[in-house]
Amino acid sequence: MREPTPTTPPQVAIAGCGAISAVGCGVEALRSALRANASGLRTSERFNSPRFQSCIVGAVAEDFFEADENDPVYRLAAEALRQARDEAQTVLHSIPAARIGLVLATTKANIEALERISENRPCSDSARRHLQGNLLAADLAAEFGAGGKVQCVSAACVSGLSAIQQGAKIIQRGEADAVFVVGVDHLSAFVMAGFTAFKAIDPNGCRPFDAARSGLSPGEAGAAIILVRENFAPGSAIKIRGWGTSNDANHLTGPSRDGSGLALAIRIALNSAKLLPAEINYINAHGTGTPYNDAMESMALRAVFGEACPPFSGAKGMLGHTLGAAGVIETIVCVLALRDNFLPGTPRLNSPADGVPDSLVREPRLVAKLNHVLKLNTGFGGINGALILSHG
Amino acid sequence: MDKIVIAATSQVAEADLKLARLGSRFGRLDLMSQLALLAVEKLGVNFDSLPRERIAICLAARAGSLATDAEFWKGRDAAGGPSPTLFAYTLPSAAIGEIAIRHRLTGPNLCFVGDSRDVLAEAADLLRRGEADACVCVYCEVVSSAAAGMIQSTPTSNVSALFLQRDGAGQILPEEFDSDMESFCAKFRA
Amino acid sequence: MEISTTDIKEKIIASLNIQDITAGQIADDAPLFGAGGLGLDSIDALELVVMLEKNFGIVIKDMEEGRPAFQSVATLAAFVNAKRSV
Repeated sequence: MREPTPTTPPQVAIAGCGAISAVGCGVEALRSALRANASGLRTSERFNSPRFQSCIVGAVAEDFFEADENDPVYRLAAEALRQARDEAQTVLHSIPAARIGLVLATTKANIEALERISENRPCSDSARRHLQGNLLAADLAAEFGAGGKVQCVSAACVSGLSAIQQGAKIIQRGEADAVFVVGVDHLSAFVMAGFTAFKAIDPNGCRPFDAARSGLSPGEAGAAIILVRENFAPGSAIKIRGWGTSNDANHLTGPSRDGSGLALAIRIALNSAKLLPAEINYINAHGTGTPYNDAMESMALRAVFGEACPPFSGAKGMLGHTLGAAGVIETIVCVLALRDNFLPGTPRLNSPADGVPDSLVREPRLVAKLNHVLKLNTGFGGINGALILSHG
Repeated sequence: MDKIVIAATSQVAEADLKLARLGSRFGRLDLMSQLALLAVEKLGVNFDSLPRERIAICLAARAGSLATDAEFWKGRDAAGGPSPTLFAYTLPSAAIGEIAIRHRLTGPNLCFVGDSRDVLAEAADLLRRGEADACVCVYCEVVSSAAAGMIQSTPTSNVSALFLQRDGAGQILPEEFDSDMESFCAKFRA
Repeated sequence: MEISTTDIKEKIIASLNIQDITAGQIADDAPLFGAGGLGLDSIDALELVVMLEKNFGIVIKDMEEGRPAFQSVATLAAFVNAKRSV
């Protein structure tokens, strides 16, 4: 039953986070890796073959999965959601299941099942079921007690930010008081073969914003953020302040050369947050490490911030490109930055490329206070996303 | 409060593609993108009359991009490897990209996997929130035989589309509406 | 046996599923990429690399290596014939 849209939409706060990635299991593992500016990229025997452009990837530890794992995406998503729900348990205690929604972000869902079926390898019923993102979302909702609205978003590499925006809108519309936002993709032969066909992988591991960068490093992760209506969260909780999305309308897989699409998304986000560019204290970039993306992103930042670009950095040298999980896990990086007042660095950076704004943060450092943080992602199909988080 | 109107609806099936030629790249698009472009063409909307950054695209694909995923994976052992062109379409949002490119629509995009229940509601919400002034809504049911076999469903290939606009000519979007976009479109064309 | 420019044109048309142009309508010297010719793009370039391996067994590891060959049908035919005579 939909309540009428309130004239001033309620604020949406973050009540809990969960993560599993190449740098380990848990938000604490992520925080440690950020403070150490560590990289989780490693060689993986799974992809040590002429079929794949590189075997350096951002993989979750093998022992996390079952032997002959059929359903890796469910495993990753459930772990992240369990962690987030534990962190938010006090808040969730007073919210009935019918008032809890779930939005899943994934680009390929359980594509593992497609490989197994095609190759006549064993494939469990649930693994096959989870080929469909909407059913994966429904099953996560059922297991974790989200009895309200369920959606599955698949908007390429912007899926995670899109899912967070959906969660916020569902709460603002009064359809739920809490939303579990989950982002997940696993490192599949399918995705490795695809990026190999694109010759888009850096054979030596990605180096976002580096002069010698030459491609991305595929990665995998499960990440979850629990959003709640502000009155359920403590005043100090981090809030979703605003967002913006746009399309380049230029080319299916190459970003608009002048960064104008991403610049538009950033401006829309700033307007929705009622903030000036100068009020942004840190930007977490998309920074895949491909020559085109990082150049385009540098131009977009210049277009919006001029020569006064706030400190910015990218996490893909640490995690790899986690596709559907990227927007969620990289937003958790922003949450950690806000909570601890520190600027994350850019792992694997040696020497910034020409044209990259000077405010690129190489090594992490503490700052007096972070108030407003901007998160960016861009994806195939020309989609651009920007999200602004603020301190309570 | 501005009224939200349905300015146009359309429905297309694979058979309609025989006469279609929409852009020089058309042969390289996957089936879902071809049908989505054709459905939007059939809406007959004059996009020139509106600022392009205020036109959103909201799409749902019943089985995601599974049909193209299966086709891509089938070519994995070919000499030279699987097709990079196909890989570009192993995302349901590729169809959004093609619509955006053809009509130069730079506004917000939403892309869902599953049935059409949220397409109209989310599109209307974008308009109410002021994030867009119009929205191209598309629902794709493109399931090849290979994909159908994998998810134990039946093959199908049709797309429904709808153009929502703030004010302007058209039927007013009712408060409560069919969550099934296909039957909703059929009703409005009748 | 030498590969002709017509052979190359037919392979391009087939691998890119080009529907509105026949081999006879493509000039040997017309640019393949960018404006003024076939207007192919970066994804098409990758697809042509696959086409070369599938049809002629020629492997291009790095797109920069392929760039001079991909100027026009004439340069591509010359490239293919040179590789095949090795």
